[in-house]
Amino acid sequence: MDHKRITFIIESDMQNAPLIGMSVNRLCLAAAFSTIEAFNIELCVVEAITNSIRHCYGGKVGHEVKVVLTFTKADIVLDICDIGPPMERDLLDRAVIQCPVGDNDNIESIAEGGRGLAIIKEIMDSVVYRSEGGENCLTLRKKLPVKEET
Amino acid sequence: MEIRQETINHVAVLSLEGRLDASSARDIKEKVSSLSRENRINLVIDMAGVDFIDSSGLGSLVSSLRTVNKLGGDIKISALQDQVRAVFELTRLHRIFGIYDDSTAAAMRF
Repeated sequence: MDHKRITFIIESDMQNAPLIGMSVNRLCLAAAFSTIEAFNIELCVVEAITNSIRHCYGGKVGHEVKVVLTFTKADIVLDICDIGPPMERDLLDRAVIQCPVGDNDNIESIAEGGRGLAIIKEIMDSVVYRSEGGENCLTLRKKLPVKEET
Repeated sequence: MEIRQETINHVAVLSLEGRLDASSARDIKEKVSSLSRENRINLVIDMAGVDFIDSSGLGSLVSSLRTVNKLGGDIKISALQDQVRAVFELTRLHRIFGIYDDSTAAAMRF
């Protein structure tokens, strides 16, 4: 089998997001990602889970968030899935890191939230969202580190 | 998230321990709001003990900065771990917060 796969399911409670985040981090380290890359992938998974809980489930517990991690020969692929109202259609396309101006006069113009998807897009090689049959999945993909020849 | 408070150079220093994420973001906002009601509006947030931050954690710092900024205060950040510093830089928020190597250096800048 070319793929290795593990599925995590958590209840929609923010306290549970680190359980998957830390697990993904360790698996990334085992796959030879650097410490910073593993941290960044953990960050993306936590952001996606937080989005699911906050936006699909309105921050309420009692629902499920499923994360499927797949190692292919070339990539790590993470599907973060929820069941409920889908994300606004062009939200992913519009997500970009804003460039704040560096003085305190403009603090009010700096958004408190809304950075999650932009962070994910900045870190991962590809980000795709799909909604089918009531299930919504955000698919994140990152190329595996190139192994050095010995 | 644990928050420990001390005073350096008459500045309140909040030392955070743990993950600053969606489940702990409210803690820091509430702590800063509480201090601002006592007119303690120049603060250092020492993040030596923070090994993870996400956009919710960053949002709580932006919100806290707004709170004290309205009253004429400021927040300086100290002792970021490398990965956490990288998230500040990725989101360009290192341009908004004064970032220092340690809390004493940060407190002395007020």
